[in-house]
Amino acid sequence: MATAPYNYSYIFKYIIIVMADCPHTIGVEFGTRIIEVSGQKIKLQIWDTAGQERFRAVTRSYYRGAAGALMVYDITRRSTYNHLSSWLTDARNLTNPNTVIILIGNKADLEAQRDVTYEEAKQFAEENGLLFLEASAKTGENVEDAFLEAAKKIYQNIQDGSLDLNAAESGVQHKPSAPQGGRLTSEPQPQREGCGC
Amino acid sequence: MAEASGEVVAVPASGAANGLTNGAGGTSAQSNNPLSRKLHKILETRLDNDKEMLEALKALSTFFVENSLRTRRNLRGDIERRSLAINEEFVSIFKEVKEELESINEDVQAMSNCCQDMTSRLQAAKEQTQDLIVKTTKLQAERYTLDEFGTARRSTVVRGFIDALTRGGPGGTPRPIEMHSHDPLSGIVGNSATTLLTTIEEMHLLSKKIFFNSLSLHASKLMDKVELPPPDLGPSSALNQTLMLLREVLASHDSSVVPLDARQADFVQVLSCVFDPLLQMCTVSASNLGTADMATFMVNSLYMMKTTLALFEFTDRRLEMLQFQIEAHLDTLINEQASYVLTKVGLSYVYNTVQQHKPEQGSLANLPNLDSVALKAAMVQFDRYLSAPDNLLMPQLNFLLSATVKEQIVKQSTELVCRAYAEVYAAVMNPVNEYKDPESILHRSPHQVQTLLS
Repeated sequence: MATAPYNYSYIFKYIIIVMADCPHTIGVEFGTRIIEVSGQKIKLQIWDTAGQERFRAVTRSYYRGAAGALMVYDITRRSTYNHLSSWLTDARNLTNPNTVIILIGNKADLEAQRDVTYEEAKQFAEENGLLFLEASAKTGENVEDAFLEAAKKIYQNIQDGSLDLNAAESGVQHKPSAPQGGRLTSEPQPQREGCGC
Repeated sequence: MAEASGEVVAVPASGAANGLTNGAGGTSAQSNNPLSRKLHKILETRLDNDKEMLEALKALSTFFVENSLRTRRNLRGDIERRSLAINEEFVSIFKEVKEELESINEDVQAMSNCCQDMTSRLQAAKEQTQDLIVKTTKLQAERYTLDEFGTARRSTVVRGFIDALTRGGPGGTPRPIEMHSHDPLSGIVGNSATTLLTTIEEMHLLSKKIFFNSLSLHASKLMDKVELPPPDLGPSSALNQTLMLLREVLASHDSSVVPLDARQADFVQVLSCVFDPLLQMCTVSASNLGTADMATFMVNSLYMMKTTLALFEFTDRRLEMLQFQIEAHLDTLINEQASYVLTKVGLSYVYNTVQQHKPEQGSLANLPNLDSVALKAAMVQFDRYLSAPDNLLMPQLNFLLSATVKEQIVKQSTELVCRAYAEVYAAVMNPVNEYKDPESILHRSPHQVQTLLS
């Protein structure tokens, strides 16, 4: 991209996984935005992927090196919520332990058609150590917060030292960035047993 | 019995009874005595042969049990009453039959209605399709017409231009441009020249529209029939063809004299028209492959797209996105290659266990398959790998189109293997894990391994 007119201190890679029964995106789409956390400008590199079983093999590659993962389901369609746990397993296996995962119930504006209660999802998030909020992409409610909440948590991890920027695959680049080597993010398959997913 | 028969015969045979009456009316005119004729007839009757009569008599005997004057007198009435009862019974049964028939009739009627309904629906569907077909044909014709129009327009313009140049307007006014050749300005300002410009502009717009239409059409066809990736995991023929088309389109555009900003806008439109469907096509066709195959195929396809795009201006953003995706799949391949080596030399399980080992599980040496014998066996394999690391490359890596990419994968996966060895080494050397003489089990230091592999 042409050099942005902004100065920023960090680049965070986010992956958005939209649980969908019908095609949302095929493969991946990109976006960037600049946000501010504790006075620091942070550039978000957003990978928008389809949470469709069909493309799972391909989208698995895109999890690597994500600092934040936003898992989006549709509060009016329980089927999208039911898919969460298997995709969460992928997200956990393919990202590093410090990756901040945030659960987002989309379409919060359609209260009348709600199919998944706030409490149920909240409980699921707590049991799995995820941040959680409901948002509406249509009205924009809480959308900014979702990005911001995740960024705050990542920034906090950097500050308290639990996220090692020198470790490859942290999903965070200090600017100017140097290319970093990889690290075994997924366990090599245990012998025979287990499916590795 | 005979007496009874006589009575019986006389009563039910009404024809005979009438005969008697008539006979009585015209006795004098008869030559034979009717009574004797009657008697003869009766005498000649072969009751045994008349089945109906026998049946009738049998039936009679069931209810005419007492032969007395009274019963004989009442016989006719009795029989009529029985007949009435039988008829009534018949009527009631027939009524049922009639009702059944009516119900069948209703059913048939309903079926007929259904058929009618279906027929009319089919008719409607047919009419709708007809409409659709007509519309499609019309649309096709329109596209065709656009082409035709373009061609016709061009020949008219050329003719007009030549006319303006050589013959001038109707009747020679304005004069042909040729005649003004000493004064170029007046020729250009001429009436026909203005018309010419307008026409050229129209044509330009038209051909641009046609161009984008056919480009979109081509792109949408990509998704109609997605091919399986070829066995060498290289770019599919559809990808190659489309990239070639794109190259031609962009090249011809690059050399055009359109102003810069307009050119950029066109570029963006062409790219989004073709590129997004291309990426989608690759993703769909890669989605059924195993991890290493998928990543190799995606890297190759993305790499082809990148090298094609890199030749042109205004493609920075796209190139950056392609690079991100290539890197993601590269990471996958690096991981796969490192896991492949560790699995082949038998260190995968060891490394895994070391990573997940917790102090409360006890020393590593006492865990199954982690004793010194098992480690020594793995070390023999690992030594073999150290002497010829190229023998343990995943076959997929040989399919990578870019040598640099392959080199990068080998380099970084080797680093991962070194790091994994270092972790295992540290764990084995740690006294807590109770290996006896650990230096003889893992006789190479991580530093040595690193040197050997670089």
